[in-house]
Parts: sequence; structure tokens; C-alpha cells
Amino acid sequence: MLGLLLRRLPYAAVTLFILSLLVFAGGQLLPGDVGRAVLGPLADPRAVAALNHQLGADRPALVQYGEWIGRFVRGDMSQSFAFRAPVAPFVGAALWNSLKLGGVAFTLVVPLGILGGIVAALNRGRLLDRAIVLVGLSATVVPEFVSGIVLILVFGIGLKLFPISATPPPGAGAAVQLYYLVLPAIPLVFIVFGYIARMARAGTVEALDSDYARTAVLKGLPRRDVVMRHVLRNALLPTITVVASQTGYLVGGLVVIETLFHYQGIGSLIYTAARGHDFPMLEAGIMTVGVIYVLSTLAADMLLAALNPRIRAGGRA
Amino acid sequence: MKQFKSIDALRRGLGAVENDLVDEILAGRLDRRSFLRHGSVMGLSLSTLGGLAGAVGLVAPRRAMAQGKPGDTIRVAIATPAGAVDPVTVADDGGLTMLIQAGEFLCVTQADLTLKPVLATSWSHNDDSSVWTFKLRPGVKFISGGTLKADDVIATIDRLADPANASNALSAFKGILSKGNARKVDDLTVEFHLDAPYGAFPYVVSSDNYNCIILPASYKGDYEKNWDGTGPFKLDKFTPKVGASFVRNPDYWGDKALPDRTEFTYFDALQPRILALQGGQVDLIDQLPVIGGQALLNDPNVTIIREKSTAHQQVHMRCDAGPFADKRVRRAMALTLDRQKLVAGLLRGYGEIGNDTPFATVYPSAAPTIAQRKQDIAEAKQLLEAAGVGKGFKVNLTTETYLEIPQYAVLLQNFARAVGIDIELKIESQDAYYGKAVFGQSDWLDSTMGITDYGHRGVPNVFLRAPLLSDGSWNAAHFKNKDYDALVDQFGRTSDVGGQRDLAAKIETLLLDETPVLFGYFFDYLVPTRKGLAGIPPIPNRLFLDRAGFV
Repeated sequence: MLGLLLRRLPYAAVTLFILSLLVFAGGQLLPGDVGRAVLGPLADPRAVAALNHQLGADRPALVQYGEWIGRFVRGDMSQSFAFRAPVAPFVGAALWNSLKLGGVAFTLVVPLGILGGIVAALNRGRLLDRAIVLVGLSATVVPEFVSGIVLILVFGIGLKLFPISATPPPGAGAAVQLYYLVLPAIPLVFIVFGYIARMARAGTVEALDSDYARTAVLKGLPRRDVVMRHVLRNALLPTITVVASQTGYLVGGLVVIETLFHYQGIGSLIYTAARGHDFPMLEAGIMTVGVIYVLSTLAADMLLAALNPRIRAGGRA
Repeated sequence: MKQFKSIDALRRGLGAVENDLVDEILAGRLDRRSFLRHGSVMGLSLSTLGGLAGAVGLVAPRRAMAQGKPGDTIRVAIATPAGAVDPVTVADDGGLTMLIQAGEFLCVTQADLTLKPVLATSWSHNDDSSVWTFKLRPGVKFISGGTLKADDVIATIDRLADPANASNALSAFKGILSKGNARKVDDLTVEFHLDAPYGAFPYVVSSDNYNCIILPASYKGDYEKNWDGTGPFKLDKFTPKVGASFVRNPDYWGDKALPDRTEFTYFDALQPRILALQGGQVDLIDQLPVIGGQALLNDPNVTIIREKSTAHQQVHMRCDAGPFADKRVRRAMALTLDRQKLVAGLLRGYGEIGNDTPFATVYPSAAPTIAQRKQDIAEAKQLLEAAGVGKGFKVNLTTETYLEIPQYAVLLQNFARAVGIDIELKIESQDAYYGKAVFGQSDWLDSTMGITDYGHRGVPNVFLRAPLLSDGSWNAAHFKNKDYDALVDQFGRTSDVGGQRDLAAKIETLLLDETPVLFGYFFDYLVPTRKGLAGIPPIPNRLFLDRAGFV
């Protein structure tokens, strides 16, 4: 396991480096500049030039990138162009918020999705199977802003069961925070449920059709033992990969939900940084999501290795 | 009924320009609002103005603003400030709303476009309006403890007029006031020596130029650390990108604020702000566009405060090249517009039609004699025929995704089709549209035809200059006309309203003939509040909350 981890870490570092380059290059392609973004389109060009100079945004692009990456590897996320304050507290607060919302959604959707997929597979071809598949698929294609607004209008404004904002009052305890996060987590559950359920169903169906499952049935094991001890261990391998791939989205890809539910997460932080040409904030935000994504993929690989000896042995078994 | 004895008595204390204003009102060429507005620019005291208005029989309309009870907490949803809250650089609605809670101006533009003295008690000018003298209010305390003096005003204005300071106010000062030309007469008197005579100068240092909140001379550029100012509120708590709260300033020089506390929550988008008001989490929203804001317009639990404004969207047509180089083609395009439909459809009636000049009818200087341009497809076709493009032509219209502009572009496309003008739309982000905002590097300034947003201004001078003068830095139409330049220069120097109206008539006639820019409509600012909230003054884009409270 440790060997596998050591083999993967350099790849992860290279991935993050390439990501930082891509973000930087993409930032150069955006029209306008930070001085113009801060002062507005009608500002005097002398003022725009002065602000760009104050911020160092008028230096050659590679110089800016070199300085930024030099600081980043030493753990310094630099100063925000727009807010003229250190980036780290902004990213830290946004990341913590995103982890909370993503965590609630993750906790709801992963067991639900896996359970739904298994139940569908065990009832293959029956009405329940078709219902789960159909509901999952339908929920996945409904955009977050549609389901989110419907939920707000029905449960927030109409029934007044939940707050319409995901941001709890200052100093709120864990239970109150959870209460505020339930409504925004539901659209995410809608989106990810179908995906996980389909993968879990496909894996379970494949495992149920396998020789080892048939052998287990023929040797007289109860159905519950066949499913729990033989089918699930193998059925969930592809599902784990899917879950890991959704982690990045659940942490960093929630711009729409964060905007709709008025929540300061890292997705909206990245979005506003991109719009405002705030290069240090943009780089730090995306690199943070990149790290989360790489870590979750690594964790999935480790979990797969734990469940599958062939992976531990580097495919030699 | 006019009381000539009283009028004569009041006139004796006035100069020539001020007496011209009285002549205008006696001749019936000015209404009460226009009279007060011009009088305020000239620095006449409110008591003198009120006395004159009363003497000539102009009674104030009974429209006293309802006032709420004291002691409330007012919760407001506003747009997230785009960056640091810094009086020098702020350029967005969220940021300016923050500035005006603890900060104050020398004078403030009112709903009727008059100027109300705030930190200045009065102002006056020399004969040619090139030197303006402002008297400051005595005994005004900064939140940080000092007392307002001329040095503070001079330092504030110099900071904003300095090209090295990344000042957002620089474009408003350009050609009017340079750094170093604000001079101290005594501790409570400041003289502004202008680059050129300018009859509407008080607006340049008023809330119209929202960066001009007066700060102590010792201000070091760290506004978010101290939120200094002289206003009715002082900061309680500020969290960047989250919100801010303010409490009553007990040392305020004027009437103390009614609310105990105001709480501002920042929102990145409009829809969550609307939902927050509907869900009872806030009491008002800073500003509501009609497009996207329909949900609140008919909500029985919501009151819409309607603020007449001069904000508009300019449709420029390149005068130097392409199909619009011939002014007959530009006029033809203007004649395709059904302006009533624009206001009814795009704005749900919350606006007024424009006449292809910046002179919205709310400006007292607007010439009342100029006929309104109306849709006339037959004449438009004749003009195109005469210009040699009777069979029509294709043209690109480039614009930005902002407010109702994309829908306006589609309506223009439909109107133009009636005379064979085939408009192809290119609608892009604001960043892409404005680009570097200099000629040669901006779709805004380089496009054959485009639509650009312009916010509310208390006087039309900015609209007359930068987008239309031959050397105007926002002249997207590439309109170059020496007669126009001379008229606008003269208009800028003129401070008497009769003279301004005469010049406005000439300017409007010239612009209607040349039609470099279409001014289809001027839209109102809308502020939705929870039912029962009172005391929000209907001043476009300036959320002053010191009289707010629930009834």
C-alpha cells in the first residue's frame, strides 16, 4: 500500500503543476485586466494603469506566475488583487464551507445511491428496478438551479420548513448548521444519486452473474450472505471510483448551488475571482480544489487496492 | 398668487445669475423642482429658495416621506462589493452602498436632482464659474475623533484627483479639477479653482461622484480597518464577501439615525436577493431591474420604491465608416423604434421614452420645445432610399450581457427589419465588450453598432461630453462635430438655467439631425422593501437608511 502511495504521489504533484499552468494560461486569455475589473469600464486609463502597477499586474505574465508559484510552494497564497488582503483566509473559509456542504451531500447521497443501485440490481427487470433507474436518471438531468429554486419556493418560502439561505447565523451550533445545509444538499443528491446508483446497479448485476456468485448460491449460502460477502465486495469497486470522481465536484463545483443558496463556498470564490481577474485568488482556489480532487482520487485508489489484491500487486497477480 | 414685495426684498440680496433664475420662474419657464435644483447649484440657501418659491406661488407638493419608528434593525440585501471597500477605487454598487453608510459628501443629490447641503453649508462661484467657494459645516466630528476642517476636504479631493492614485473619480474630474487646485481660505472655507469654467461643479463633488466621501487628511488608505467618516452610522462588524453591520453614530452632527442597527448581507446574484426578501430574511434589496425582478413587482407583501433616474442604454452607430456613416441612415434607424413599446415591454412602464439626446425630461435644462421623435416607417424607408440603401443592408450589433440589454438588442433587430436593415447580434460578456476600453482594443469603442449602459447622473454634462465630443474618450459612435463641441463647451460654462435651456435646444436639434446615438428610454431605479418599511428616500442608487424604520 505504501509503495502504491509513493508511486502515485509524484504523478499527483505533476498533475497539480500542470493544473496551475493551465489556470495561469487560461487567465491570460480572459479579456480585460484587474485594474479595469476593479475600477469599471468607464474609469480613466491613467487610474487603471496606476492600479495595475500598484498590484504588479502590469508585469510580464511569466514573472507574475514565477513569483506566485515560488510563494505557493512555500505555503504562501499571496495577496488578492481585488481585496488587497491575503488570499489564504478567503480560501480557508470558503473551503471549510464547501467541505461542510459537500460533506452533508456526500453523506446523504453515497449510501442512498449504493443502496438504490443494489436494490435495483436485486430486482432486475421488475417495476422497482425500472422506477429507481428512471427516477435516478430524471433527477440527474434536472439542473441544480431548477431543483434548487423549486425547493426554496416550496420548502423555504411556501411551507417555511427550511431557511432559504445555506449560511447559518454567526455562532450557530452543529445542529443548526446542518439544518441550514439540508435544503441546498438535496439538489446535489438529485444530481449524483442517479450516477452512483447506475454504477452500483451495473456492478451488482455483473457480480450476481459471475461464476463465484453462482457457486456461492449452489453451495447453499443464504441470499443475504451471498450478497453481503461475495457480491458487494466486488460490485462496489467501480462505484468507489465514481464516488471519488464526484468528490471534486461536491467540493469545488457548486457555484450554482452556492450562488442560489447564498453560501460562500470555494466554487463561488473561484467564479468571482475569474470574473474579477483576481489571479492569485483564482490560482489558489483552483489549486485547492485540485488538491482535494487528487487526494480523493488517491484515497479511492488506496481503497480499491485494499479491496482488490491485484491492484496492490501492481497488476502482476 | 405672487407676492412681489417679498420677491423684490429677496432679489436685492442676489447676484445677476441668481436674479436670472428668478426671472425664469416668474416667466413660468421653470417649475418648482427645476427652480430649487438650479438654485441649489448656485448655492442659494434652502430658506431663500423656499421663500422665493412661496412668494411666486409655487407650493411644495404634499409628498412628505413617511417615517418609521426609531429603534429598528434594518436588514438589507446588496450586491457583493467587487473588491476592497476603498473610497478611492470603489466602482460598483455594492461598494458604494458601503461607502455612504459611514461616509458623507459635501452635498447630496436629491430625488428631484436638487443638491442638499451636507458637510458644506453653502457654495458660490465667481462670475465665470471658474472658482467655486464652499463653506463647511462647523462642529462635525469624524468617527475617529477629529473635527472636519478645510484640510480634510482638500486632502480628500486631491487624493481623488491624483492620476497616480488609481482613483475611480478621476474620469469625473478630468478637464474640470486637477490635483492641487483645491485651496484653503480658512479652516471652514475651501476654494476650488477649476481647469475651465463649469456651471455644474457642485455635482462633481456631490454624491453624484460617489468616491467623494470626505475623509480625514490623515487617512492612510486603510478604509476597511477604520471605516472613518462623519455619517449617521458607524461600523459594527465587517466580513469581506459576507456582509457588514452598522450602529447609530451617537456623535453625529445632524438628526441621529432612527435605526439602532443596519445589517447588510452580500449576495453575488439577483435571484437569491429576491428569494431572501420573499423568504423574510431581509427587509429590502438595494436595487431591482425589471428583467429578472418581475417576481417582486406584483408581490402584495412588497412595496416598490420607484426612483426616477436618467440611467439609460446608449445605442451608438459609427458615424465615420460603414452603413451608418450617412446621417440619413442613422435617422432612419431611429425612426424604426416604437419607444412606447420599449418602455411598456422592456421596462413594464418603469421608465420614460427618450428622444435621442441625453436630455431626459427630468433635467430642468432640457428644452421643452423639442418635438418627440416617433416611429415612422415610411419616412425611414424614404431616408434609406435617398441614402442609396433602399433595399436595406446587413450590420452587426455588438453588446453586453447586462440588465435588459440583450432583450433590447432583439427588439432593435425586429424594429429594423421593417425597413430592410438586417441586424446580426453579437452579445458578449461585459469584460469582452469593454475590453481594454480604449480605441482599437474594445468592441464597445470599435463596433459599427453597439449598446452600452450608462448610470444615473444628476446633470447631463457627462452624457454630453465623453460619449459625444469629438475627442470624447467614450465616443463609440466616432461622432465628430465642431458645432456640437462648441455648444457643449458653452453649456458646461453656463450656470443660468435660461441660457442652459437655449443651448440645450440647439444641442438637441443638432443631435436629432445627426443621430449618432439612440436614446430609446430612461429607466427608473426600483427598490423593493418589505411592507411597512418607511423612510427610504427615493434617490437613485443611493441607499441612505438613517430615516428608515417600520410603521
